[in-house]
Amino acid sequence: MPLFEGLSYGGEKTAVIFDIGVAFTKCGFAAENAPQFIIPTEVRKRKTGQLVNIHKCCSETPQDLRSVLVDFVHRLYFRQLLVNPKERRVVIVESMLTTTTHFRNTLADVLFKHYEVPSVVFAPGHLVCLFTLGVSTGLIMDVGYTETTVMPVFEGTAILKAWQALPLAGKAIHDYLEASLKESSSVEGGESGDKPISSFMDSIDESILEDIKVRCCFVTSHERATMYNANEVSTSPLEGPPAVRYPLKGDRVATISGKIRERTCEVLFEEDCEGRSLASLILDAILQSPIDMRRTLAENLVIIGGTSMLPGFNHRLRSELYAHLKQPPYSEKLSLPAFKFHKYPAKANYVAWLGGSMLGALETLASKSVTKEAYTLQPLIPDWCSLYVAEEKEKVVGATKKLEAGSRPLSSKKLSSSLSVDSSPRSSVSSAARAAARSIAGILSSASVDSNATPKSS
Amino acid sequence: MATFVTEDRVLYAASSGAKAPLCRLYFCRHCLKIRSTNCVSHEVDSLYCPNCLENMPTNEASLKKYRCSNCFDCPTCCHTLSTRATTIPMPDRDQPGKIVPKKVYYLACGFCRWTSRDVGMKDQLVAGGGWQNQENPHDKRIFYLLDHFRQLAAKEKAEKEKKKYIRRRSHLHLSDKFGLSSVAARRRSGLLSVGSPSMKESEDVKIQDIEPNIASEDVDDQLDDSIFTQELDLSKVTNIKQRHANPDVQPMKTTDLYPKHKHLLIKCSQRCRECEHNLSKPDYNPHSIKFKIQLVALHHVPDLKMMSFPSLILNKESQVVLIVLNPLDTLVHMTLLPLEKEKDDWSTAKIVIPSCELLLSPRDDAADFDENTDQKQAFKDNTSVVVFRKANRLAFLIKVIPQSQDEEVKVAFQMKYDYRNLASALQQTEGKEPEMVWLQHSVFLNLGRLTPQS
Ligand SMILES: [Zn+2]
Ligand SMILES: [Zn+2]
Ligand SMILES: [Zn+2]
Ligand SMILES: [Zn+2]
Repeated sequence: MPLFEGLSYGGEKTAVIFDIGVAFTKCGFAAENAPQFIIPTEVRKRKTGQLVNIHKCCSETPQDLRSVLVDFVHRLYFRQLLVNPKERRVVIVESMLTTTTHFRNTLADVLFKHYEVPSVVFAPGHLVCLFTLGVSTGLIMDVGYTETTVMPVFEGTAILKAWQALPLAGKAIHDYLEASLKESSSVEGGESGDKPISSFMDSIDESILEDIKVRCCFVTSHERATMYNANEVSTSPLEGPPAVRYPLKGDRVATISGKIRERTCEVLFEEDCEGRSLASLILDAILQSPIDMRRTLAENLVIIGGTSMLPGFNHRLRSELYAHLKQPPYSEKLSLPAFKFHKYPAKANYVAWLGGSMLGALETLASKSVTKEAYTLQPLIPDWCSLYVAEEKEKVVGATKKLEAGSRPLSSKKLSSSLSVDSSPRSSVSSAARAAARSIAGILSSASVDSNATPKSS
Repeated sequence: MATFVTEDRVLYAASSGAKAPLCRLYFCRHCLKIRSTNCVSHEVDSLYCPNCLENMPTNEASLKKYRCSNCFDCPTCCHTLSTRATTIPMPDRDQPGKIVPKKVYYLACGFCRWTSRDVGMKDQLVAGGGWQNQENPHDKRIFYLLDHFRQLAAKEKAEKEKKKYIRRRSHLHLSDKFGLSSVAARRRSGLLSVGSPSMKESEDVKIQDIEPNIASEDVDDQLDDSIFTQELDLSKVTNIKQRHANPDVQPMKTTDLYPKHKHLLIKCSQRCRECEHNLSKPDYNPHSIKFKIQLVALHHVPDLKMMSFPSLILNKESQVVLIVLNPLDTLVHMTLLPLEKEKDDWSTAKIVIPSCELLLSPRDDAADFDENTDQKQAFKDNTSVVVFRKANRLAFLIKVIPQSQDEEVKVAFQMKYDYRNLASALQQTEGKEPEMVWLQHSVFLNLGRLTPQS
């Protein structure tokens, strides 16, 4: 049931809220407690008739991306929400680290020019998800499809120099799952008895991988993972979970071994060559935040994103955090009494959307949005902090894990300098952007005056 | 229909410059321009349930979250559920202690055999059902937070307005002509201080501090040990589509799947972006596939088709037969003109177009049955151009000289014809003769690859 039925300001119709994620898009109306729809971020290409993910079209020409977005937004309005674009303000919840400037600008162009929406606000997902908790300080980890990002927010302001990202998320699980299925799974049925899966499938369709992940796999406990790692896999004394017979196309049945079920998601927690994993992302972010904020951040962890909904994920993450804390380098640099986790009034995959829904329900929405008139005069979308982040981000994170060790501190320095208000030589765009970011944060910071938010030294 | 088979062989330019087959274009008879799907704006015209075909007014639909109140989707396979009736013995209300058979209703899927009894939903006593919706367990908390933020936002807005007001007032005082500037200045500073920090405290609307969410060391997704010992029954685990169909619950077990009200569909109308007239408006009745307004280009612009694929040889002239169909009920005088070089980003071949005027007889639905009229005589056609004519169809020749070995053979030209402007006649109230106007459209032909030489 809608919470504020028919309640809107000055006869204005309730705003629409879009969170166009890499794998799934959440759409719905402001002031609702959950999105109307969660659909794959896919659209059928006019020329080829193939379903494509719209984020994969980012690298194509602006016209191509535009036409794909026109079709996708058409679907959102006329197939899902069933409302007229011209009549409602728009809130776009975006991941500030994964949305490219190119994508944002094209989306704004499509919304304003093609669909003639009255106003648009791009709300940073990491900030608005704090709305759903009623707090203004938190360390937000978003475990999505291509990447996991971590952003500390203190008193409503993001601590940009401390953000972290790694390509450890849903996609990494799919890749690992595909490799291990090909390596070890056999398929029965069909014309000719048991065969390895690779004998008739060159690559396994991503939808099948996702289905296997969602229905069969889980994140095992820290104790079991350590025991596995201590022993050679083959001589492991542990009794694994029972295997699952998974029906494929036709009469084929694949066997998903217990090992695959239990150990596929380990890819998120195994350390890469630089010793980084999901747990170290959080600790690094805390370490790079000012010293008097660290304890508060560690006691306000907010874990969001669809991949964090895997059974056992949060439990494992907690154990990993404590385990890492006892080991160098963190044991020397960090002393934290506890890690505390927030429980939000939503499912992990739409927390940011819900924050957008709350933002969109407020009387102040109009003053925080870019109006169609303003956009027509000057087709610029203020970036929530500065365009620099997006550029840096493209350069720094890319898709590869193998970052040069030295590049992180360097880029963080650049980021922080671009953010400081006075020294930045940037144009009016970024200062307007900063103003916008501050005003969004403004509601939050004035919102909470509780002990939770006051800085404590660690 | 031939139109669809060869649809991307003949393209027309819309006013925006986009090229599309005629069957995908609109013709605005108010602007007298061809409109592509990009130069029309879509609008929701009416909402209806695709199962029971009932219309639903917009306001009601938004209250019901754009879902039909009577129809349900199967939560496992998305097929429409049907209501089943059965009789079960039940204690009688009037005579205690007596058991009587009673009619009850439940929902069942005819496709995957799911029933509402599977998940323990109570049978209903009326066919319409009073099926309970699942509630979001977080309703109360979200309501509380929203309410709080709304108060804050209202306060923020009020403060902003107040500041604006104060600034205006103080400005007024400064420009005081009566020498009271010192008083004014004093008052101004006082007023301004109200507008700055102290204002927050003196604000008459006191907003209670928010109850923030308290983080805890607990996490609630510790694995149950049974996962390591019990066989997993895949049929009892939901897939991601089933989970996403109920965003606020996202059940993991199929036993927690509840039916969902059927999502509505819309009928769309299209408007010309320039003059805001409707170019397409469907009939309100969901049963009807008719339109109230349907200004598709096929009904207003002579439709060109290729009749045959000629043999195309590099640098050799070949003749191409085109058929043009007149959709209008007037005699159309059509001439073909070359496309200006600057506008032409299409051609890869030279084209020789007929210089004479082509007369297209009006559309007459009865003419097709009339076999013995030889119209060729009546129109005194130039036989070197006109191949044949029949009713409102005319076949004529153009000549094409391919210029490029590797590319497809493409030519372009303009089509100019006279059109009776009925829209302007409607505006001028007195029954004036509708004015005749000349329209000009660009047409692009793709003749395909060169004929392979053996
Ligand atoms: Zn219905
Ligand atoms: Zn079913
Ligand atoms: Zn439409
Ligand atoms: Zn028009």
